[in-house]
Amino acid sequence: MTEWLDDFLLRALLAGLIMVVIAAPMGCLMVWQRLAFLSDTLGHAAVMGVGLGLILQVEPLYGVLAVALVIVFSLSRVSHFNNALSETTLAIISHTGLAGGIILVGLLPGPTVNLEAILFGDLLATTRADLLNLLLTTILLLVLLLRYWRAFVALSVSREIAQAEGIEVRRVQALMYVMIALLVAVMMKVMGVLLIAAMLVIPTSSARLFSRSPEQMVLISGLYGLGALAGGITSSFHFDWQTGPAIVVSATLLLLLTLAITRLLKPNLD
Amino acid sequence: MTTELLLCAEDISYRQGGRLILDCVSFELRRAQITTIIGPNGAGKSTLTNIVNGLIDNYTGHIERSPELRIGYLPQKVYVNTLMPLSVERLLRLTRQSSDAEIDRALAQSEVGYLRQRQVRSLSEGELKRVLLARTTLGRPDLLVLDEPTAGVDVSGEIRMYQLIGELRAQLQCAVLLVSHDLHLVMSQTDQVLCLNQHLCCSGLPESVSQHPEYLALFGQQASDSIAVYAHHHDHEHHVSGATDAHRHD
Repeated sequence: MTEWLDDFLLRALLAGLIMVVIAAPMGCLMVWQRLAFLSDTLGHAAVMGVGLGLILQVEPLYGVLAVALVIVFSLSRVSHFNNALSETTLAIISHTGLAGGIILVGLLPGPTVNLEAILFGDLLATTRADLLNLLLTTILLLVLLLRYWRAFVALSVSREIAQAEGIEVRRVQALMYVMIALLVAVMMKVMGVLLIAAMLVIPTSSARLFSRSPEQMVLISGLYGLGALAGGITSSFHFDWQTGPAIVVSATLLLLLTLAITRLLKPNLD
Repeated sequence: MTTELLLCAEDISYRQGGRLILDCVSFELRRAQITTIIGPNGAGKSTLTNIVNGLIDNYTGHIERSPELRIGYLPQKVYVNTLMPLSVERLLRLTRQSSDAEIDRALAQSEVGYLRQRQVRSLSEGELKRVLLARTTLGRPDLLVLDEPTAGVDVSGEIRMYQLIGELRAQLQCAVLLVSHDLHLVMSQTDQVLCLNQHLCCSGLPESVSQHPEYLALFGQQASDSIAVYAHHHDHEHHVSGATDAHRHD
């Protein structure tokens, strides 16, 4: 029934599309709330999760999710969700997770693990199981986004206003953190742990240049994400570039192009 | 003092990390009256407003609010995200559904109707303050809690801001609880002053507070004199606000 999924290129394309769909709203929220660095931290520390998963012989995805949730939970205890997360704390977690993870992976017997795929992703190797995980997580995240969109946007605009007007800021923020952990766990397969944040930040930055409303920015981010995906997969296929890095470079080229055009059209822009 | 009692606070005390922030503070807020909290830095002014608007609930003492009291709150420091694309109109609709007419009325009352379609990130600080003031009036509040509404606004903007607050009080018939540093600018509009320094040093009419020994100890004779001067203009302010109302309708 699903023979059409046998084509690896089609699976890659579908995985990329699903990722773009969820990266746009999540990326916007994270950029607005200055949480992009958190996704980077969770991404780096995800290597530890992969290592743990492999050693305990469970699906690496669960290892990654477990590590991400532990980090998010600890951060929530430390910061009480009140202040922006300290860059230093995040950097320590980020690099310890990465270093520890690489040691763990190195301990595994035999050349079973493709470290490069973990770090930079391997979209073209997407399996049916990967696709299903990505799809289910994306649906879950989209449902949560729709349900809490107003609160997320209010919190992004102003914590003080959101709090004063009865939005349970801590709960909403905690939910946001858990959603980021989920997102990182599934995006890792596609983008690789080191490049997740790029996909959340770069298309969003392009969209910000000429968006007039939060929702418009999400939509335009999605379009830029699609552009980056198309460029990345095409160059990956034709020039044998690694897909994750190719997507990121495409996204940046699109950003530079947009910057140049907006400067030409509106030279007085800030 | 026969207007409707909206909120009655009795013996409010609050500790934060063992430090006493508020010590047995009692006061009443009545409809259509402006109450101004003055006091030095760290006196507990913002804490008190947060207790009134319900953001802090682990205080001791008792607060009685009239049933279904609607509170509009303007925090002292509102950090509005400049990374987001957001129109003024959308900012006003952030947490509630408001009709176009309501948005228009609220913006017009704060004299910023022309900003409706502008992006929030392009506003000056003074414009943003007025937009946020308009925002607090949207829910037709019974009580407006304004924590230093003129912080970051230049002097002429400040005077105008206090006039606006006086007009809003008249139009919405709401109580206003105002925290201010600008003693002499506020006093002319104020019905009740709460002079706070952890405990309530003194309270009452501006003229009487300004002669109170504890007030003089905190702020000095000069502050007292400037209030006496401005208190003199008390009637005049109402005249100005009336004139502005009339102007708005033509």
